[in-house]
Amino acid sequence: MNAHLVRTAAEGRRHGPRARLRATARSEWVKLWSVRSAPAVLGATAVVIVLGALVLCSGYRSGWASMSASERAAFDPASTSLRGIEPAQLFVGALGVLAVTGEYGTGLIRTTLAATPQRAQVLVVKGLVLGAVVWAVTTASSFGAFALGQHLLTGPVPHAELEDPGVLRAVLGGGLYLTLIALFGTALGALSRSTPLGLAALFGVLLVLPLMVGLLPSGLADGILPYLPGEAGSQVWHVMPPSPHSLGPWQGFSLFALDVVVSAGAVLTLTRKRDV
Amino acid sequence: MIEARGLTKRYGRQTAVSGLDFRVEPGRVTGFLGPNGAGKSTTMRMILGLDLPSSGSVTVNGRRYRGMVWPLHEIGALLDARAVHPGRSAYNHLHSLAAANGIPRDRVDVVLEQVGLAAVARKRVGGFSLGMSQRLGIAGALLGDPGILLFDEPVNGLDPDGILWIRTLMRSLAAEGRTVLVSSHLMSETALTADHLLVIGEGRLLADMPLDELIARDATDRVEVRAVDHHRLAGELRTLGGEVTLRPDGTLLVVGVESAAIGELAAARGHVLHQLRDVTSSLEEAYFRLTEGSVVYRAPVPA
Amino acid sequence: MPTDTSGTPVPAARARRPPVPRHAPVTPLSRGRAVLASEWIKLRSLRSLRATALSGFAFSVGLAFLVCSGFQARWHTLGAQAQAHFRPVDTGLGFLQITPLFFGALGALVVTTEYGTGQIRGTFVATPQRPLVLAAKALLVGLLGFGLALVTVSAAFLLGQSRLSGATPHASPADSGAAGAVLGGALYLTLTGLLGLFLGALARSTAVAISALLCLFTILPVLVNNLPKGFVWRHTVPYLPSNLGFSLWHSHVGFLLRPVSAGCVLALYVVVTAAAGMALLRTRDG
Repeated sequence: MNAHLVRTAAEGRRHGPRARLRATARSEWVKLWSVRSAPAVLGATAVVIVLGALVLCSGYRSGWASMSASERAAFDPASTSLRGIEPAQLFVGALGVLAVTGEYGTGLIRTTLAATPQRAQVLVVKGLVLGAVVWAVTTASSFGAFALGQHLLTGPVPHAELEDPGVLRAVLGGGLYLTLIALFGTALGALSRSTPLGLAALFGVLLVLPLMVGLLPSGLADGILPYLPGEAGSQVWHVMPPSPHSLGPWQGFSLFALDVVVSAGAVLTLTRKRDV
Repeated sequence: MIEARGLTKRYGRQTAVSGLDFRVEPGRVTGFLGPNGAGKSTTMRMILGLDLPSSGSVTVNGRRYRGMVWPLHEIGALLDARAVHPGRSAYNHLHSLAAANGIPRDRVDVVLEQVGLAAVARKRVGGFSLGMSQRLGIAGALLGDPGILLFDEPVNGLDPDGILWIRTLMRSLAAEGRTVLVSSHLMSETALTADHLLVIGEGRLLADMPLDELIARDATDRVEVRAVDHHRLAGELRTLGGEVTLRPDGTLLVVGVESAAIGELAAARGHVLHQLRDVTSSLEEAYFRLTEGSVVYRAPVPA
Repeated sequence: MPTDTSGTPVPAARARRPPVPRHAPVTPLSRGRAVLASEWIKLRSLRSLRATALSGFAFSVGLAFLVCSGFQARWHTLGAQAQAHFRPVDTGLGFLQITPLFFGALGALVVTTEYGTGQIRGTFVATPQRPLVLAAKALLVGLLGFGLALVTVSAAFLLGQSRLSGATPHASPADSGAAGAVLGGALYLTLTGLLGLFLGALARSTAVAISALLCLFTILPVLVNNLPKGFVWRHTVPYLPSNLGFSLWHSHVGFLLRPVSAGCVLALYVVVTAAAGMALLRTRDG
C-alpha cells in the first residue's frame, strides 16, 4: 500500500481488544448524549421517581387515620417512598428499547455495524453504557425520593431510616432494578428490531402479565406471580415482602437478572446470523 | 482491493446475487452498473459484512469484513444518505463514527470542511436537504482516510455543482492510488467517471472490463458524412461495399467503410465535403445491449 | 370541436383526456363523505390495525376462557370467603382491566402510523380541512370500535360463562346486570379507542401515545388504588379513566362513581382530548 495513504486518521488507532472495546464505548457514549431524547427521558425518570414519593407519602399521611390496624401493620414506609419506580420503569424500559430500535428504524445500524463489525460487542457495550447512565441517575433519584418521602411521613405515621435493616438495600435496589429494566428493554429491542414490537414485548411482560395472572384464582396466582420478571425483580426495593409468597429480595433479583441474561444470550446468538 | 468469489445471496427462494466473481482494483474508478433490483445494493451490503453470503465469499484487502477490527481505516462506504438519526447534529454523527474506530476528533472537522458542510456542522441532520445528507454520508466514508471507497448512488439528489464535485473527488481519490467502487444507474455520469465497469443483471455478472472496451465491444462504428453531392457519393460508397443510409437532412450514415477511405475516395472523385466524422456508440447503447432481457422492473411501453 | 356541458368549445388538447370526475356541487356533506371514504380505505388496508384488533379479540376471549376454567377447576380449593365473594360476571369480564390497552393502541395507531411514515402530509394536502380528517377518523374508530368491542366482550362473556358449571356460580345473558356489564364493557373499550386516537393526534408518535396509555391504564391504577381512602383520594382516584371504566362493567364499585356518571365523565375526557387535538392540528406545521 502506498505510504502516503497512512495519514492522521490512523494516529488515534491503538492495538488490542481493550482499545477496540474503549472505542466502541466512546462511540456509544457520543450517540447516547447527542440526541435530545436520552437526557429528556432520564430527566423525566428522575422527576417521576421523586414525584411518586411526594404523592404517595402525602397520601398516606393524610389518610392514615382512615386505615385499619392490619393495613397499618402492613405499611412499608421505605418502599412506599420508592414506588415512583413503577411508572419510572416505563421510561427507562422504553429508553432501552429505543436505544436499539431507533438505529434500526433509521437504517443507522448499517453504518454502525460497518464501522464496528463486532456485532456482539456493539450490542453489549450499548447495553452497558446505557445501563451505567441509568444506574447513576436512578440510584441518585431513589435516594432523593427516599429522603423526601421520609420527610413527609410525620406524626403518627411511621417512617424509616437508612440504618434500619434492609432499608439501604431497598434504596440501592431501586437503581439496580431500573438498570435491569433498561437492559431488558435493550435486549427485547435487539430481538424484535422494531419499536412497537419491542415496547409491546417489554410492557407485556412487565405490566400486562401480572394483571393477567392476578385474575386467576388466588391459589393458582400465588404460585405464578412471584416468578414473573417484574414481580421477582422488584423485591429488591421492598423492605417488607408485599405478599407472603414473594421471593426474597436477592433471590427475586437474581431470577430477574437471569431473565435478562437469557434474553441477551438469545440476542447474541441471533445477531451473528442475521442480515441487517 | 475487493475480491468476490462465487458470491451468492438467496432470500428464501429468490436469488438476489448468483455466483459473482470479480476484483475491484486500486488506482481506478470502478463503476458498478445494473438495473434496479439487479443486486447492486445486496452485493455492497455483503462487501460490508452486513448481509452474509449464502455461499461464496467476498474479501476486503484479503480479509472478510466481519473479522476487521478498525474497518473504517481501510474502507469507507456511503450506503443510504438518509440513514442518520434526525435529531443528531452532523458533527456528532461523524464524531460517534470516528470514536468507534479510534479516529482522532480533528478528522471530523477536516472531512466536514472537505465536503462543504463545515457551516452547518452543529445543525440537526433532520433539517438537511437530500444533497446535504449525501455530502454527510460521503464525509462519513472519508473519515478514516481509507484506501478503499464504496459509494452507492452518490449523485442522487445532488445539484449540478454537487455532481461535478463528486466526480472530481472520485477521480482524485483513484488518482491517489485508492480503490473506488461506485454503483449507479446513470449512464452518462458513469461514462464520465469510471475507468472500469462491472455490469450485473438479475444477480449475474454481465461484464467486467474497461469502459472503453465495453463500449467498443461489438459496437458497429459508423461515419457521418455531409457532402454537396450526397447522391453521387452514396452510390460510390455502396460500390466500395459500404452500407449507406441517407438521413432527411442530407447526412450520410456509413457503416463498413472507414473514414480515411471515405476521405481518399472523396479527394479522388472531387467531392466537396462539409463534414466527415466518426460516430462511436455510447455507454448507454452498450449497456442496453448487455442488459437486454435482464431488466427486472420494466414499465410497459406507452402505446 | 368538442364542447363542454355549457356548449362552450374547449381546446382540443384539454378535451382529449377526460377530466377527473368530481362530485358536484361541493357541499360540506359531500366533502365530509369524501374524507370518510378516503379514511375508510386507509383503515381497511392497514395491516397493523388488523393485527391489533385480532390480537385484542383473541387475548380477551382467551383470557376469559383461561380465568373461568381456572375457577371451575379450583372451585373446591377456594375458601368459604372467596366463594362467597365470587361474582361470575365480574370474574368473566376481568380481561377488561387489560383489553383497553389494545383498543387504545388501535385508536392511536390510526393517527400515529400516518405520522410515522410521513403519509400525513399527503393526507393533509388532499384534505386541508384538518379537523375534518380527525373527525372522520374518530367516527370510523367509534363505529368500528364499538362493533368490535361488542363482539369481543359478548364472545368472551359467553365462552367464559360456558366454562362455569356445577357448584360454581355462573351467569346467563338474561341475568340482571349481565347485559348491562357487557354493554358497559363495550362502551368502555370504544371510549378508550377514541381516547387513544386523540392522544395519538396529540403525541404524533406511536411510542409516546402507547406509553401514555400504559401509564393511564396499568401503572396509575396499581399505584394509587390501594392508598388510604382519605378526602383527597375520594375526589381524585375515582376519576381515573381506568376506574371510570371499572364502574362501567364491575358490580362492586365501592368508593367509585355509579355507571352512568362514570360513562359521562369518561366521555368528557374524550371530548376534552379531542378539542385539544383539533386545536393543535390547526396551529401545528406538518
